[in-house]
Amino acid sequence: MIEDLVSVLPVFITYYLVALGHGFFEKSGVLNLAIDGLFVLGATVAFAVAAYSLNPWTGLFMSSIVCSLFGAFIAYMATKLPISHGALGLSLMFLGYGLSLVIGIPANNYVYAAALKPSAYTIPTVMNTLMVLFIASILIGILLHYILENTKLGAMVRASGEDPHTAEALGVDVLKTRIIAGAIGYALIGLGSAFFTLTWRIGWDPKIYLLGHGWIAFAISLAAGRHPILTIFTASLFAGLVRYQYVVQTTLGLSTEITKMLPFIAAIISMTVFYVTPLKRKLASPKSLGKPYYREERTV
Amino acid sequence: MVRLIVLRRTKPLPYASILIPVSSIILGIILSAIILYFLAGISPLALFSLIIRSFISPTVVKDTLILTLIGLSLVIAFRASIWNIGAEGQIHMGMLVAAWIALFTPLTSAPMFAKITCVLAGAVAGALWAALAGVLRAYVGLDEVPITLMLNYVAYYVLDILVYGPWRGRFTYGYIRTDEIPEDLWLTLIPGTTAHMEVLVVAIIIGLSTWLMFKYTIIGLRLRILGSNPEFLRSAGVNVKHVMVLALALSGAVAGAVGALYLLGDTHRISYPVEAQTAGYGYLGILVAWLSMLDVRAIPLAAYVVSSLRITGITMQIAGLGGTAIVFLFMGSVLLTYTIAKVFSEYTIRVQR
Repeated sequence: MIEDLVSVLPVFITYYLVALGHGFFEKSGVLNLAIDGLFVLGATVAFAVAAYSLNPWTGLFMSSIVCSLFGAFIAYMATKLPISHGALGLSLMFLGYGLSLVIGIPANNYVYAAALKPSAYTIPTVMNTLMVLFIASILIGILLHYILENTKLGAMVRASGEDPHTAEALGVDVLKTRIIAGAIGYALIGLGSAFFTLTWRIGWDPKIYLLGHGWIAFAISLAAGRHPILTIFTASLFAGLVRYQYVVQTTLGLSTEITKMLPFIAAIISMTVFYVTPLKRKLASPKSLGKPYYREERTV
Repeated sequence: MVRLIVLRRTKPLPYASILIPVSSIILGIILSAIILYFLAGISPLALFSLIIRSFISPTVVKDTLILTLIGLSLVIAFRASIWNIGAEGQIHMGMLVAAWIALFTPLTSAPMFAKITCVLAGAVAGALWAALAGVLRAYVGLDEVPITLMLNYVAYYVLDILVYGPWRGRFTYGYIRTDEIPEDLWLTLIPGTTAHMEVLVVAIIIGLSTWLMFKYTIIGLRLRILGSNPEFLRSAGVNVKHVMVLALALSGAVAGAVGALYLLGDTHRISYPVEAQTAGYGYLGILVAWLSMLDVRAIPLAAYVVSSLRITGITMQIAGLGGTAIVFLFMGSVLLTYTIAKVFSEYTIRVQR
C-alpha cells in the first residue's frame, strides 16, 4: 500500500512542476504551445547530462537552465515582435523534438556502451528522497501562489497578462516581466521534465517525443485555471490515473492502448468541464493571453 | 545600448509572398545545419549536398503529391484562422475506415467501386473526427490547437487497439499488424516514380475545387471572413459556430481522404504500433500550409520543398544519423524562421544605437 502511494510520487512531481511553470508563464499573457517539445527536451537534457556526469542533480540543474533560456526566448520574441504566439510555440515544439533526438540518441548509445546501471545516474526512488521532493514541489507551488497574489512581481505578471498596454502605461515593464515569467516558468518545466527521465521512467526512450506528457500537463494546468494550489488536485488526479492505469488495465483485462489513451480523453474532458462550468468565470484565463503585443506609439 | 524598434510599414513589403518563404527556408536550413554541426558533428557541406540530391530524387514525387493534399486540407482551416494541428489524427481515421472496407467487406469484388468508397468513407471519417474538435472549439470555446493535437494521440491508440486485437492478421509472420489489403485495391503507380495515379487525380480535383471554393463560393467567402473579421460575420447574421465546425470538417475530410489513399497506395496494411510507423505527414503539412503563405496556388511548390527536406531526413536515417530527428529539426527551424520573417511583411525593424 505504502509502496503504491510512493510510486505515484514521481508522476505527481513531474506533472505538478510542469503544470505550475506552464501556468505561471501563461499568467503573463504568453500562449505556451511549446510545452510538449520543451518537456521532451528538458527530459532528454537531464538524462544526457546525468548520464555523462554520473550525477542526477547536475542533470536536473542543466535541464532547468536550458528550458529557462528557451522560456526567456519565447517571452522576448512574443512580446518584442508582433508575432503569432501559436506559430512560435509550435515551431519550438518541433525544434524541441528534433534537438532532444539529436542529444538523446548518442547519450542513450553511450549508456548502453558503458553499461551504466540506472542507479548510477538517476535519483534513488527510495521513500525518503521522494517524500522530500514531493514536499519541496508542494512548497514551490505555495511559494508561486504567494508570489502571484502578494508580491510586486506577481502583480506585474498578472497585469501583463490581463492588459499589457495599460500595465505599460502604469509603469510596468511588460517585456522584462514576461521574460522573468518565462524564465521562472520554464525553469520549473525543465525541473519537472527532468524527474520524468530520472525518477519516473528511469532512462531514455527513442520514442520519447510520442508520449505527449507535456500536453497532459497543459490540460492539468488549464483544468485548474492556472491556480497553483488547485493544480495540486488536478495533478494528483492525473498522476493517479496514469500510475494506476496498469492496475485498472490488468484487473479489467483491458489492452495497454486503452490505458494510454485514457489520459488524453480525460484531459479533453477535464478542459471541457472547466469551460462549461462556472469555474471558467471564477478562474478566467488572462484576457490578453496569446494576443500579439505591439505598441505603434513607440515608433515615434 | 542597442535597441530594436518595430515600425509598421506604410506599404507591405514588395514580393513578400516569395521573399518570406524563400528566405525562411534558407535561414531555417542554415539554423538546422548549425545545430547539427555543433550537437552531432554532421558536416554542413554533406548536409547541403544531401538536400540538393533530395530535390531531384525520384521518390520526392510521391511525398509532394501527398503533402500537396495535406497542405490543401490545412489551408482550408488556416484561412479561417482555425489552427487544425490534428491532420495526423484525421489521416489515421481515414486509414482506419479504408482498412475496414478493404479487409472486411464484400465490396472488394468490385475494385474500382471499392477504391472510391474507401476514399469517400475516409473523407467522412476524417471530417467527423475533425468536427469533434470543431464542436469543442465552437460551442465550448476551447483552443483548437491542444484539442486537435490530443485527438491525434487518441486516434493513434484507437488504431493500435484494433490492430493489436480484433484486426490482427493471420498471415503476418509474427508481426503485429493487419493482413494486406487485396491487391486489386492497390493504386496504380506512375511510371518511374513511387507516386500513384489516383493520388494525382485526387490532388488535382481537390486543388481546383479548393481554389474555386475560396474564389467563388459563399462558403469560401465565409471561411475567409471568419479568418479576418469574425465580428463582421456575426453582424452579417451568419452562425459563426457553424462556420468554425465546417472549417474543421472540410479540412478533416481532405486529410481523411489522404489517409485512405495512403493505405491503398503505400502501406497496404496497418502495423502496430501506429504512432511509431507514421510518416508524420499531418505535421509536415503545417509547414507546407504556412510556407505557401496560405495561397492555394503555391501549395504544390511548398509541398515539393518540404518533401525534399523529408527525403533528406530519411536518407540520413539510412546513413544512421536519425532521420526523425532531422525532419523535426528542419520543421522546427523553418517554422521558427518563417514565423519571425513573416513579421517583415508588415513591419520593419530598425536598430537604434
